[in-house]
Parts: sequence; structure tokens; C-alpha cells
Amino acid sequence: MFQSLCRKTQVLCTRRVREQWVRSFMVELQPVEQIVLVREKQDHNGPTMQFPGIWLRDNCLCDACFHRNSLSRLPHGWNNFDTKVKVQDLSVNVEQETLHINWSDAHRSEYPLEWLRERDFSSANRQRYLSHSYRPESQHWSGDQFQNILQKFEYRDLVSRDDTLAEWLRTLAIYGVALIKNSPLDIGVVKTLCNRVGFIRRTTYGEEFSVKSQPGAKNYSYLAEPLPLHTDMPYFEYKPSLTILHTLEQSVSQGGWNLLADAFYVADLLREKHPEEFEVLSRTRVDWADIGMDNGVSFHNIWRAPVINLDADGNYARINHSVPQRDSHFSIPVQRVQPWYEANALFVRLAQEQAVSFKTTPGDVLTFNNLRMVHGRTGYDDTELNVRHIVGGFVDWDIAYSRLRVLQKQQQQQQQQRLRQQQQLQGQKQVESKLLSQVQ
Amino acid sequence: MWTPRFCLKWGPQLKQLRAAVASTQLRAISARIVNDSFIVVQPESEGSAGSESLTYPGVWLRDNCSCSECFHASSQSRRLDWDNFDASVRPQHLHTDADTQEIHVRWSDSHVSSYSLQWLRERSFKDQRQRNYLDDFYRPRTHHWRGADFEHVAQRFDYGDVMHDDRALRDWLQALAVYGVALIGGAPIDKGVVRQLAERVGFIRRTTYGEEFIVQAKPGAKNFAYLSDPLPLHTDLPYYEYKPSVNILHCMVQTESRGGSNLLVDAFHIADRLRAEHPEDFERLKETPVDWNDIGSEDGREFHNIWRSPVICLDGDGRYTRINHSVPQRDSHFNVPLDQVLPWYESYARFVRMARADAHSFKTQPGDVLTFNNIRLLHGRTGYDDTEENSRYIVGAYLDWDIIYSRLRVLKKKLPPA
Repeated sequence: MFQSLCRKTQVLCTRRVREQWVRSFMVELQPVEQIVLVREKQDHNGPTMQFPGIWLRDNCLCDACFHRNSLSRLPHGWNNFDTKVKVQDLSVNVEQETLHINWSDAHRSEYPLEWLRERDFSSANRQRYLSHSYRPESQHWSGDQFQNILQKFEYRDLVSRDDTLAEWLRTLAIYGVALIKNSPLDIGVVKTLCNRVGFIRRTTYGEEFSVKSQPGAKNYSYLAEPLPLHTDMPYFEYKPSLTILHTLEQSVSQGGWNLLADAFYVADLLREKHPEEFEVLSRTRVDWADIGMDNGVSFHNIWRAPVINLDADGNYARINHSVPQRDSHFSIPVQRVQPWYEANALFVRLAQEQAVSFKTTPGDVLTFNNLRMVHGRTGYDDTELNVRHIVGGFVDWDIAYSRLRVLQKQQQQQQQQRLRQQQQLQGQKQVESKLLSQVQ
Repeated sequence: MWTPRFCLKWGPQLKQLRAAVASTQLRAISARIVNDSFIVVQPESEGSAGSESLTYPGVWLRDNCSCSECFHASSQSRRLDWDNFDASVRPQHLHTDADTQEIHVRWSDSHVSSYSLQWLRERSFKDQRQRNYLDDFYRPRTHHWRGADFEHVAQRFDYGDVMHDDRALRDWLQALAVYGVALIGGAPIDKGVVRQLAERVGFIRRTTYGEEFIVQAKPGAKNFAYLSDPLPLHTDLPYYEYKPSVNILHCMVQTESRGGSNLLVDAFHIADRLRAEHPEDFERLKETPVDWNDIGSEDGREFHNIWRSPVICLDGDGRYTRINHSVPQRDSHFNVPLDQVLPWYESYARFVRMARADAHSFKTQPGDVLTFNNIRLLHGRTGYDDTEENSRYIVGAYLDWDIIYSRLRVLKKKLPPA
């Protein structure tokens, strides 16, 4: 690319390093495509960063275009944004490591190399950004792998150490489940954890909720009966993302076991081995509903969505499954009903096969991704002296990912600082040892 | 276990039954099994209305058995054992009851179920019935409008009526659902108004910025909206996957300067026009994921929100689910292949131009509460100048559609039709 100079503007920049003139980075313009190429190494085969001219103009960092306090683009430029704007000339400041551009609209912009590096349009860099900064890539697991992927965190560490907090959120993002041990038997634990991330997600049922057997309950999970695998609140478009369940008292009866399966893995199985059923479950919209009352307020929630929800790239966005919360209204053509039932029955069977069971003990906090996991519990019997009591709450992914990004950035900055300190220390030692050798 | 109310004999050959008309008031009802799996119900009435046959998949009927073994009445939810559900279950015998207007079914798993005609009618699989249910009860069908039609579509409600009269509450929410905008007048000049309105519907949707927020010029603000500069058209918080649905903006003090006007445009209408007049631009704006972000801190807490999503978002049926637009909250990170960048900018610039040209401007007065669908409308305001005696002051909050539609459904069931 750098060879065809006839139709390109090229700027070489050099800086003085150890008495030698060495090329430090080069910038070049492809005038037809209006693409700016930036290369850092002297080596002609080194990686080239690419930036569209229009994007550079849109992201000018000067005070007239960018509001530093709010770290955001000033909007006025867009009142008459000219998509035909062209790069007129390019230059570099070697000492500052900045790229300078003069534009056809007479504006002048300056971009730090570091800032450009982070935003390079290469496929590799975009992939790095998406899986590192945006949302970590999930890893799906079978029931057999549960013991290997289950990570446990100490409550004390989680509330006091930021690195533990980041690790817990990362684990939830990747595996969809994590267990917190040794929390106090205190009703405030769930809220404390939610506040540690951001804030608790309120629903029709309030903020924290108590799962305790209540004869005649208005919600099915508030009974002591077995609770088959399900996701919580499929009847919300904005379904709560992370479920946090704190065991205050566990049943001493035979029952009260947690059941958990990775429904993304179940969807993988369907996709691979039963593509027709996968198609049916990812295309048929189901009516999910909750009709009732909480705290004297009536509600009638409905959301129509498939069991398996895919995003535009075919990645799983969300799983919906709940026998009690599936509406008797089924708003699809009549001939599509039977195939859906067959596919759903297969999904339920596969989920059961992949389900793991374990029994939390008082002080445990089970946390999982409610958009991905199906959970349930076996039936149990309360006695007068032993009443199973779980306190729960939700946190949204928007809030959890935001916290994770902030923590990751802090960790990165701390690492860089440590590195700089080490380098300084090494430099000092070298000088000291040099001095020492001179003295000797 | 199960006893038929009428003494009729059962037999495998008995696939079609017709109950006797008990009196002239009662209508007959008959039912038959088709293809070994469907049940066709034939109500008979004097007129032709309501006498159309209704077809139900057997497996769906079995799944929705309302006996206490299969259905939990107090939580209004299914308790059927799906861990052992047999999707190949078949109806074996039918029996209809004109007296109670019910049909009774005996299944291949020996279970017996009863369904009232009323219940069946409400769940008919007929296309027209389903469409009515979806376009009225589920989520009212939207009407898109041009800026020039604003005065016709923006309905005005009285704060006192909305707070005390369920019909006014229903009408406000219905207007919001259909047109995406409604004005409430006559609210007290009180910071609690926004919360009272939100709690009349359900509860405030909390965001990174808290529950209520105050829009007031703050020099050096961390968020661009908190400056007195003009605020071009945008949607709020596009950087959330769970973007707040409805904006409630209570005007407590309006600026006496020339500015401070509200700008509103129906972006669903702009999308309609792009779809019809500039299909390539429409295609790019619905296909290209954009990085929306917000980096900052609130109450000493840092946040870094990002959500990747196109400007125009569609559901599987091609209906709009959401519009994202905000110049300040569009990230400098843009994770698309290089060759898509310039075409996207061209399409986006057209979208912005069309929206600006269509925007309607008006100025709220103290006591006005502007409510609009943040998933659909773009809003903005012209710049203004505060003085020592006159400092523009707006209190805002959000509500989610999940909560609003729920309240609207409850009201529609409770109240006589509008």
C-alpha cells in the first residue's frame, strides 16, 4: 500500500533516538477512498492502522468539536454535517506523537497516536475491543463441566476488594454463574451486593424479594412445591439480567435443592443436532404473561418473544422459559402450534439432561445470568423450626458491564503505573551500579 | 374423578357430539376432532355473528387445562408437569354442554379437561381475533405523524384528572402508546409531580443518573444536557440495552429568554419515509451497529456504558422496536468494517437532515408535563439564557413500557371501553 506513491500523499516522520535518525511512524492518505493509513514501525511489513477520513473529522477532539468534561462530541457540528469533507494535508508531530489533519472545511484536527491505536478499524482490533472492553465472550457449558467452571468467591473479598469484584462480574459474563460463600445471615446482603455493582433492579414485585413458602401465594415460586427449570420474568421486554439469591435458611428436609442448566449450551445442542427444532424455537413468538397483584397494585405483564432469541449476528441474546408464566394466549397461526410444542418439549428434555443440582447452605449467595440460565428447585417441607428462606434481587447487565469496564480500566492503569515504577527503579539501579563500579 | 354433567354415553366412535338445546335461550354448541389432533368447536347462535367454527390444536388445549391439578388459580398460572409433558397427546373423546357452554375433553393420557366457550373465544386462533388482541390489548398499534400534524396528535390532559380519574389515566397512556407524545397541564409547581405521576402508573425507572433528574444549566456539567446550549435532536440513553422507555419532563420554571423551546419529531415517521424514499439509507441504518456510550461519574461513582445497536431497530416482523440517535453519546469507537463507514455516514446525515426538517417546536409553560416515548421520538431544545431571577428548571424521570403497558391492560379490563 505504501508503495504506490503516485496517487497518495505520504508523510514520513522521524525522531532522534540514540544519535541515530530512525523512522518512528508514517502516515499516508488514500485520496480516492479518503482513508488515512498509519504505520508505527520502520518495517514495511508492519501492521497498518486504517481510519476513514469522515470518521476522523466526526471525531475531532478540539474544544469546538468535543466537550471534554462530558467526554462527548459537541452536537452542533451535526446540524449541517458535510459528508463530502476531505483531508487536505497530513502531518505528524514526532515529539507529541500526534497526527495533524487540515480539512477541506478549513478545520484543523489533532489526534494522539495512542487514541488512534485504540480505535484502529482492523478486524483484529475491533474483535479485541468487543471481547475485552464491550462484553466478554461467553463460554457455554454442559452439566458435566459444571464443577470445573463453577467459581467461588468469598463475600468478604467481594465487598472489600475491587479485583475480586471484577473477577466475579467477569465470571458471570463468561460462564453465567458464580457462587459467593460465607456471607453474613443478614437480610441486607443482597442489597449490599447490588449496590457494590451499581443498584438493584426494581420489578413489579419490588426490589428485594423473599422466597419463602406461603400457602395460597399469588406467585408460583412462593410455594414449597418443586419448581421446574425456568428463567425469571420472561414477560418483561426488559427482563432482569442477573439473579442474586442469598440463602438465609435452608430446608433440613430432603428437598430444596437448586437446579441449574446453561440454556445457551442447550441451544447449541439443538442448533447442532436438531436444526429444525432450533429454527422453530428461535422464530416462534410465545406470549409470556404474569397477571396478579403485589402490594395492592394489579399488574398484567405480557411480552411476546421466542424461547431462543438471537441477535443480528446469530448470537444468543436471551432465553425465555417458564411453564407457569407462559400465557394461554398463543398468538401464532394454528398450524404452527403442534411443531412448536414438539420443539419446546425437546428443549425441556435436553435442559433437564444438562441440569446440575446442588444445595446451597446458609450464607451462600448464588448468582447467575437470568437471560441465559434456567434454574429451579426441588420441593421441600418446612417445619415450625425450619422455614427455608431465600432473599433475592436483580441487577441489570447494563449496570454490571459498566462496573466491569470501569474496574478493568482501573486495573489496566494500575498495571501501567506499576510497570513505570519498575522501569524507574531499574533505571535508578543501573545508574547506581554504574556509579558504584566507577567508584570501585 | 370426572363426571359429565349430561348423561351421555362415551364411545370411541363418538367423535361428534351435539348437545340438546335445553331452552330457547340457550345456544347449542358442538365440537369434533379433526385429523386426530385438532378440535373444531361449532357454536350456534340465532344470528350469524359468533357462529363461526373455531379450531384449536389439541396439544395446546391439553397444555392449558384449567383443572386445579394443571392450573394454579391464585397465581393464575400453569402448574402442569412439563418435565413429563407428552407433545403427542391426543384428544380421544369430546362432550359439549349447552347449559354451561363448555366442552369437555378426555385425552390419550386419560386426563379430562373442560373449557368454556367464552375462554375459547378469547383465545381463538383466527387471524383477525389475534390481530385485534395484539394491536389493542398487547400493545396498541402506533400511528406515525409528521411534524406539521403535531397539534392534532398531541393530546392534552389535566394533571388532576390523570391523578384521580382512571379513565384519564388510561387515555393518557393510550395516547402515549399510539402517538408517542402527550401533554399534561395544570400540574403544581412542585418537585414531587414527576414521582407522583410515575407512581400513578407504577414506579420510576432508575438509571446511572438516579431516579428523578433536574435539567438546569450548570456551567462545567458532566453531561451535555446540563448546559444551556442548544440541544439538538436525540434520544436519551441510547447506550443502554434496556433504554428508558418514556420521558416525563415537568416544567417548573421556563426561561423568559427567546430560547428554551422543545423540539420533537416522530422518528418512526422519518424511518417510514427513508424506507419508502431512500431504501438504501434505510437498509444501512437498520443493519449497521453503532457504538453508543456514556463515560463519566455521578455521585462519585464512575460508569462506562456502551451498547451496540443500529439507529433504526426492527423486530422479526419488520416493525420498529427502537430508534437510537445522539451525537454526543455516539462513541468514537466504531466497530464496523472500514468500507461501511462512509456509506453509513451519508445515510445517517440524511436521517439527521430529515429529522431536523420535520421537527416541531413549542414551549412548555410552568405546570406543563411533557411526556413522550424515548424509544421512538427524538427530542431537543433551543439554547436559552438564564438570568439571576429566571433560571429554567425542568424535573424529569423515566418509566418503562413494561410497566406502562401492564397498567394500561389492567385499566382496559377494569373500565368500560372508551
